[in-house]
Amino acid sequence: MEEAIGRLWHRLVTRAADGTHPQAAARLKDLSRPLAIFFRALGGDPGLRLASATAERPGHRRRWLARVAGSGERLFPSRRDHEALRLPPVIDAFPDAALNRDAYFWLAALAAELDAETPPRRHGDDASHRNQRATLRVLRDWPGMARRYRRLVDAYLPRRRAPRELPDAEARREAAIQQALRAPGSVERWPDVPAKTPPGEPVLLWLRPDSGERVAARSAEASDAAGAPHGETKDGGEATHKAERADAPRDKHGLLLPFRAESLLSLAEFFRINRSVDDDGEPDPEAAQDLDQLAIAPTRNGERLAARVRFDLDLPSAAEDDDRIGVGIALPEWDYRKNLLRPNHVFVQDMLPRHAVPSPLPPRLAPTARRLRERFALLRAGRRWAKARPDGSELDLDAVVRAHTDRACRRTPGENLHMALERRERDLACLLLADLSLSTDAWVSNEARVIDVIRDALLLFGEALRATGDRFALCGFSSVKRHHVRFQRLKDFSAPFDARARGHIEAIRPGYYTRLGAAIRRASRMLEQEPAARRLLLILSDGKPNDLDLYDSRYGIEDTRMAVVEARRAGLLPFCLTIDRDGGDYLKRLFGPNGYAMLRRPEDLPHRLPMLYAQLTR
Amino acid sequence: MRREDFPMPPPAGGKGGGGAPWYAPVGGEEEIFAHAWRNRLPVLIKGPTGCGKTRFVSHMAATLGVPLFTVSCHDDLTSADLVGRHLIVGGETVWCDGPLTRAVRQGGICYLDEIVEARKDTTVVLHPLADDRRILPIDRTGEVLTAPPSFMLVVSYNPGYQNLLKGLKPSTRQRFVSLRFDFPDPAREAEILRRETGCDPELARRLAGLAQALRNLRDHDLEEAPSTRLLIYAATLTRAGMAPLEACRVAVVESLTDDIDVAEALLEVARATFD
Repeated sequence: MEEAIGRLWHRLVTRAADGTHPQAAARLKDLSRPLAIFFRALGGDPGLRLASATAERPGHRRRWLARVAGSGERLFPSRRDHEALRLPPVIDAFPDAALNRDAYFWLAALAAELDAETPPRRHGDDASHRNQRATLRVLRDWPGMARRYRRLVDAYLPRRRAPRELPDAEARREAAIQQALRAPGSVERWPDVPAKTPPGEPVLLWLRPDSGERVAARSAEASDAAGAPHGETKDGGEATHKAERADAPRDKHGLLLPFRAESLLSLAEFFRINRSVDDDGEPDPEAAQDLDQLAIAPTRNGERLAARVRFDLDLPSAAEDDDRIGVGIALPEWDYRKNLLRPNHVFVQDMLPRHAVPSPLPPRLAPTARRLRERFALLRAGRRWAKARPDGSELDLDAVVRAHTDRACRRTPGENLHMALERRERDLACLLLADLSLSTDAWVSNEARVIDVIRDALLLFGEALRATGDRFALCGFSSVKRHHVRFQRLKDFSAPFDARARGHIEAIRPGYYTRLGAAIRRASRMLEQEPAARRLLLILSDGKPNDLDLYDSRYGIEDTRMAVVEARRAGLLPFCLTIDRDGGDYLKRLFGPNGYAMLRRPEDLPHRLPMLYAQLTR
Repeated sequence: MRREDFPMPPPAGGKGGGGAPWYAPVGGEEEIFAHAWRNRLPVLIKGPTGCGKTRFVSHMAATLGVPLFTVSCHDDLTSADLVGRHLIVGGETVWCDGPLTRAVRQGGICYLDEIVEARKDTTVVLHPLADDRRILPIDRTGEVLTAPPSFMLVVSYNPGYQNLLKGLKPSTRQRFVSLRFDFPDPAREAEILRRETGCDPELARRLAGLAQALRNLRDHDLEEAPSTRLLIYAATLTRAGMAPLEACRVAVVESLTDDIDVAEALLEVARATFD
């Protein structure tokens, strides 16, 4: 009873206090794709992700009722950082659903214009100046946005507190904000407010441009965070966490409280404790979700925890490691921040799995393999009518007419008067490149890990391609920073697909990281040697490129993209098959809209891979 | 709805009064083409679909005052389709020239559109015509035709990577003077729209801006960038009385994509332009 009344009260009071309209809400997850495309079309940076904004406590002055209801305490202000455009997960400020939706598109347009602004800015500029200027530019460049903006502002202003309800200084500031919204560009100077005044209410129709501290960039620089879980929460990665760079406390001892203990802090705030040793191996994702901000402090002396806990991924001793073939190859890598190709930046070592014993096809795959061989034998017999043959099932009318004329002119008529269905040369070479990084150790079902699925897929793929007679190679890769990219040559173009090749495939093990760009470059070099007219580079991946050093998120993606572009320039056809269900965005950037396919169920991979090959090479 | 409600307007664009189809030059392509013609060099034009390749060739044929023979290539095109074949007419067999042979006999421009669509063995018949020999041997009649000075071979194709598996043989492409075409800049494109359709300058300007934005999506969300041709369709429909947003939807957005999310986004860009 008590609970029911409590819930009822909560519902009533929050509805009265927020003035939100949940029934008309527009949700980011429904709109994210169109929004991202819209943002790019208006000139936004195509490398940016669209993500959900983090909750913040802006600490602005709220109405009495809102304070009672506890609403408006946590808001999701839009912002744009160098990785992502972050928009609120839900906009329900307006009673009209179309208007809530418009607010999203308005924010995307504004972000695109903020992007377009060139860095040298006027002195003393702040976010509100930049927002006003961007608003003006949107209205100028996109005449269709003007009415929408007007509608949004008209509906939005009454939602803000009227200046007369506020104390003096804040009232002047609020009036200025409303003025800036009503007539963008008209507010040059912001009224000064005394130091202790609460900050102004965040403006729904503005967004915070690149906030000063580039946390992620710096931590990427410090080659950290690569193996850490990618900020994904259990409920589908909805909310992200805002990271704030905080200085590490100066005191020498861990667990010494540097503040007076009588002032109790709640759990959700940042304790400045120097936890120089991480005692919790498995970070609790729920704890992270309860925090609004994750404070990341760099440990001193450049000593990183990550470096210490990752010892298990170090290379095995030479005696235990796979066999090396050759001395290795130095390859370039693309640095998007400098916009240049760093020559000889990565070192790729060709390898063969050690302890591989020649093995037959596992019996459980035999029926599928037989079916595939039958289907692919048909593909090999992709036939077309060949004209002017000495015999065949049909008459070649052209040839018959020609023979007729020849006879009429008293010349010797030809004898090749038939058409026959003949096998067509497939003049095709394919290299399959499989990701063998540690992430493939994940379980896809109760029975199988990703690596097991990949192993089966490789085996069946080999069986199918053997039936077509196309030349093919099977390779795998993983990496440990730039000096050690491991490139497994499971089957070369010249080698037959036999027990030995199957043995190599059986021996693949998950390990290390995914330096995809280097692997693509290495595979391209191999495929370029093939004389075939059509050369397909098929990439099997299970997630984003990443490695221990700065090869993470954007850097990795830009390098991989460059490797794909290079492959295309060399006349190869790169195509990616992925089991990463959330990969749509970056894969499109890497391979183009028709350059990849996504598998909803990883278990399907062994069957889908050969079929995909058949479709691609039809 | 009756037919009389929709009077047929005069055909959009095309003949600009003086006879030659109207064409807005972007760089020196007219001079290059004229030089190539005068010096008997074959020309290859590459560029995305709907950027004006075909219009350029017909414009130049009219400017130079030579006949134009156009062949649209497809993958069943045989060399006999280009050169010619024997036909049976009333019990007699009669040799019938193909478009290529006709162009070589009469002089003029032979234009092979989308040459990569043709099979590679077909394009080999062009080789002796496309180098300094300028001859066309016809093995079926035993003739060897020598091309007159006014003959010129022009081929075009769209170099998008969708055509990667097709491509052009290096031995074929290295016989041509090559011109790369791309979409014109917004101001010029607006001018083209205005000239082609007679629409008002503001509409032309906004359509060109819309195209510019959608072209940002090339290779990422869209397989092909929106062509000038599609814009002309949109402008024509608008001028005929359709609402601009609706015209953009049917002439631009739906022609570019089948994906519902992408279409929604493109329509939002159109709304941002016209709403």
